[in-house]
Amino acid sequence: MSAINNTKSFHLISSQKISFTFDGKKYTGFKGDTVASALLRNNIKLIGRSFKYHRPRGIYTCGIEEPNALIQILSEHSEPNTRATVKRIYEGMVIVSQNRWPSLKMDIGSINNLLSPIFSAGFYYKTFMGPKGFWKKVYEPIIRRTAGLGKPPKDFRSKSVHHYHNVDIVIVGGGLNGLIAAKKLINTDYDVLLIEQDSFLGGVLNNSKKIKDIDGQENVEWLKNTEDLIRKSKNIKILKDTLVTTYNFKDHLIAIEDKAVESAPTSYKSELALHKIRTKHTILANGHIERFISFRNNDLPGVMLASSFEKYIHRYGVVPDSNPIIFTNNSSTFSLLKSLVDLGCKPLAYIDYRNNSSIEKNILDFLKNNNIQTYTSSEIEGCDGTNILKEVSIRDDKKNIIKIKTSMLCVSGGINPDVHLFTQSKGLIKWDSKYLTFKPDKPFQNTITLGSASGNFNYQSLNEEVNDKLSFLKGAKEIKIKLNLNTADDLNIREIWETKHEKETLWSKSFIDLQNDVTTKDLSQAVSEGFDRIEHLKRFTTNSMGTDQGKISSINSLGIVSKILNKNISDVGTTIYRPPYSPLSFSAIAGRNTYEFYDPKRKTAIHSWHIKNNAVFEDVGQWKRPWYFKLNQSETMHQAVQRESRQLRETAGILDGSTLGKIEVKGKDALEFMNLMYTNAFTKMKPMTSRYVLMLGEDGMVKDDGIVSKINDQHFIATTTTGGAPKVLGDMEEYAQTEWPHLKVYMNSITEQFSTFNISGPKSRAIMRKVFSEVDFSNEKFPFMTFNTFNYLDTKVRIMRASFTGELGYEIYVPPKYALELWEKIFRNGKNLGLIPYGTETMHLLRAEKGYVVVGQDTDGTVTPVDLNLNWMIGKKKKDFIGKRSLSRSDTSKKNRKQLVGIIPIDKNKNIEEGQHIVEIKSLPSNIKEPIEYLGHITSSYHSPALKHCIAMALVKGGNQLMGKKIFVSKSNSSETVESEIVNPVFLDPNNRRLLS
Amino acid sequence: MKEIFSIRGLDIFQKNFQQVVLRSKGGDKFNEIVNKETSLLPPSSNLAITNNENFLFAKQSFDQWNLFYLKEKKHEEVLKFISTVNSDEEILASDYSYGQVYFEISGEKRNYYLNKLTHFDLREKKFPVFTMAQTLIAKIDCSVYNLKDKYLITCNSSFEEYFRERLLDSVNV
Repeated sequence: MSAINNTKSFHLISSQKISFTFDGKKYTGFKGDTVASALLRNNIKLIGRSFKYHRPRGIYTCGIEEPNALIQILSEHSEPNTRATVKRIYEGMVIVSQNRWPSLKMDIGSINNLLSPIFSAGFYYKTFMGPKGFWKKVYEPIIRRTAGLGKPPKDFRSKSVHHYHNVDIVIVGGGLNGLIAAKKLINTDYDVLLIEQDSFLGGVLNNSKKIKDIDGQENVEWLKNTEDLIRKSKNIKILKDTLVTTYNFKDHLIAIEDKAVESAPTSYKSELALHKIRTKHTILANGHIERFISFRNNDLPGVMLASSFEKYIHRYGVVPDSNPIIFTNNSSTFSLLKSLVDLGCKPLAYIDYRNNSSIEKNILDFLKNNNIQTYTSSEIEGCDGTNILKEVSIRDDKKNIIKIKTSMLCVSGGINPDVHLFTQSKGLIKWDSKYLTFKPDKPFQNTITLGSASGNFNYQSLNEEVNDKLSFLKGAKEIKIKLNLNTADDLNIREIWETKHEKETLWSKSFIDLQNDVTTKDLSQAVSEGFDRIEHLKRFTTNSMGTDQGKISSINSLGIVSKILNKNISDVGTTIYRPPYSPLSFSAIAGRNTYEFYDPKRKTAIHSWHIKNNAVFEDVGQWKRPWYFKLNQSETMHQAVQRESRQLRETAGILDGSTLGKIEVKGKDALEFMNLMYTNAFTKMKPMTSRYVLMLGEDGMVKDDGIVSKINDQHFIATTTTGGAPKVLGDMEEYAQTEWPHLKVYMNSITEQFSTFNISGPKSRAIMRKVFSEVDFSNEKFPFMTFNTFNYLDTKVRIMRASFTGELGYEIYVPPKYALELWEKIFRNGKNLGLIPYGTETMHLLRAEKGYVVVGQDTDGTVTPVDLNLNWMIGKKKKDFIGKRSLSRSDTSKKNRKQLVGIIPIDKNKNIEEGQHIVEIKSLPSNIKEPIEYLGHITSSYHSPALKHCIAMALVKGGNQLMGKKIFVSKSNSSETVESEIVNPVFLDPNNRRLLS
Repeated sequence: MKEIFSIRGLDIFQKNFQQVVLRSKGGDKFNEIVNKETSLLPPSSNLAITNNENFLFAKQSFDQWNLFYLKEKKHEEVLKFISTVNSDEEILASDYSYGQVYFEISGEKRNYYLNKLTHFDLREKKFPVFTMAQTLIAKIDCSVYNLKDKYLITCNSSFEEYFRERLLDSVNV
């Protein structure tokens, strides 16, 4: 028997033909078809091979719950594991089947099926233990090669976007209940978001003939009118092709929208949108999922859930098989029976597990009137076929086995409310013994469930449920919908989870989890091995751990386990449904926060000048700072840094220091506040002078440094490190507001309000005189660590005499609007005096020559000012400052703490690497077996162009007492060491002659 | 004023303003000092905005106000005002004139586009007209001013290029 088109389906009206290829062969479907519906239309039922046993697999469902029909789409960056039941076809789509070699029909991997006795439950936990060394060389490579279904996708640049929503009500599901809830909220004061995973609203109205008409209107007409009403309402927005995957605390939903439905991804348009939704109330009207029944070979292509078969008929206009067999334990298949008969497709047989007295009379009459072979109190024993279903075996009420040849079997084992999102929200579910399923009980958040999602399978009570559950919403209209039904009165289900096998061959298997190839036998084995808790059993067997999360089978496994344990299902409990409901691609999660937008970039006001002048940038926090400037393309970093350093010490250099943090502090108690924040004493500091400062944590460790300029006792300006600026300001605010609220002081970040240029070198004074001709830069008028403000154009600049290079230097603070103009002016005036720009690497080298520390490089959060020999920066007479008490603890005041020292190699041709260990033995063993005592580590190391050899700074135990001692520094690439000497860390100009010149 | 982007339902312009950030506990003296310069009384409710044709004044927190010069003045005049305010030891006035960038976003689709970049609830019932907020937009700290038919968004000028590119990107994807 073969598939036929249902020309009555709305899907086939004016539909356009689409060509695509599957495993290299060209097929034709209709616009709007999923891959599954298109393949079924072409009588293709074998879609892929299973995960473990490589068994032939087909299309089991018609939606997101699909465990089997996973495909790889070559025309979409080779996207693997795509659900054929959801993915729509488009012209030129290229699809291949997965997990098979050399072909889908002839798969060598299917030998695993014969080896199945060794692949039983817990296989992964019991094997690969030995022999020693096999894991790395044998097992892991083999497992890596065979693991997974599809192949990893190719590299591609996604353009997925994020959308944020803030609404009052989210309705999940645009089916009948969702639409009625939305209709109730039309033109109310609530902002409503209606989310539907399909391209159409209507759910059951499109998927079946369960409802004949609504309010006297044809379903299609009612749907169109209702959607028009909702669209015209100003307060409701509809999102289609959007699946809610996650329900977080608090009332926060995440949904994924497919923006490239029925089209190939392009490089210019986003293909996915991740919607992040904050709401006050969530209405879950996301329906139900049909479950299967386990029987022998219940995985064969041709076995399909009954409601899915019906959905293909109506939603996609394809009857997958003109004469299927139906196997059920409930009355939900009645509408499928009617649909088939209406189309002139009489089922070959109808097998009902219930006895005659339990089946509604109208169903029995229908079967009889249409002369359909009916077996009641019967069940499917099993199926047979090689790559596709050929024959079913029926065990009738007298336990006789009857065989019927067929290519399609429709199965219904009952209906589960789709509780995934409800349980993600931490709502509690309870067992419903009437419908044999778990259904929502107590919500944890503001969650309302409607219709079958709430376990209400009776359409007649729809009005009452919606009006009752949404009665608290102000202005919501009373709903009265009249439904003319085409279904049985109730589900009327009889419990059956698994049927008994007659055949016992290696091929015969009764599956409980189709995606992970878990059999019902695996469940029994796991329980017998002691895994009788459902969460343990899940992990031991991998049951319901696939990407489908066992949507069609997890309740069945509970049913089977409850039978084995002889417990009620409610006592067995359920596993936890975790987000996401369906797999999310990483590109959707990342959104636009990738590549150029991975992290915000900060640029200074003269960034463009740096680019024009061949700056190579380094990232400092989010800032782009010039690292060094290339003189020409062939110049290396080392050459550039050596050149910049030499030139600065000979003439002058200028650094863009705009990224340094700047904080303005002012108030009646500003002096006291600054005395508390920093180690330094500011009381006797003269106005218009500056001071190098240290800020400690409460543990006494150096946290940040900078320069504080005192305008007067009530007004200070502090600079911070580039990376430390937000933290220092935050700490200042926190201390001012929480620890010292009595102090009247305010602070503002002014980092961005001033560009900062650091000019230094012997010629810097001459250059400054040319740029600011009215300013007296003499030593007498402008001594070291003083500052003043001067008029410049129609603004003011602040100039401070300070240096981080050890040379005569000035810092210029100018509003960014004037920065580029001033920077270029400085260069025009400095050109003949040998002025060059220099970058951060040169700055680091120059400061190291002078023995200045960089917080974060020479400190690591365990270093006190005393360790750095900066005792002079501690205001000894100050009553208090942050970290003061910690400095007198026994640990921080002990003599052999690591202290900052200088290191130079004995052989001046040798280099020392940063981060290396300092030891007392010359040669390190290649294989260290005994602990080797190490004295400390190198924090900074550079080749000094001034001294013409390597200089390094290090933190060494008791370093101050070890001056002149020979030590050895390890190397990163050999067991050799560099023989070195501990020296004073000030390598150049210890008497500050250059600095104070 | 520089046009960044304009399509049906959305207009993005980049503007330049001078700005002063004031820290104070408020009160009559503060009001008097500020009123003398701006002919405006600082808003007393948190996050509220007042304005006249020359100035826009917003209260950002319990002790912070942002003052925008809607008509550009010579920078030295702004600095003179700051100096005057700072002569009161209980007020801190800091010049923010050229350290911030300003984007004006108008059009009926402005919320739709901004909601690609921020989780902030821009609905009028949560973000009323003539109020301001500080929030993350495109992962950076911004202040948003709801000026009825448009938003004024400010951020640190170092983010200017990144922020402009993100705004454009949100329209294009």
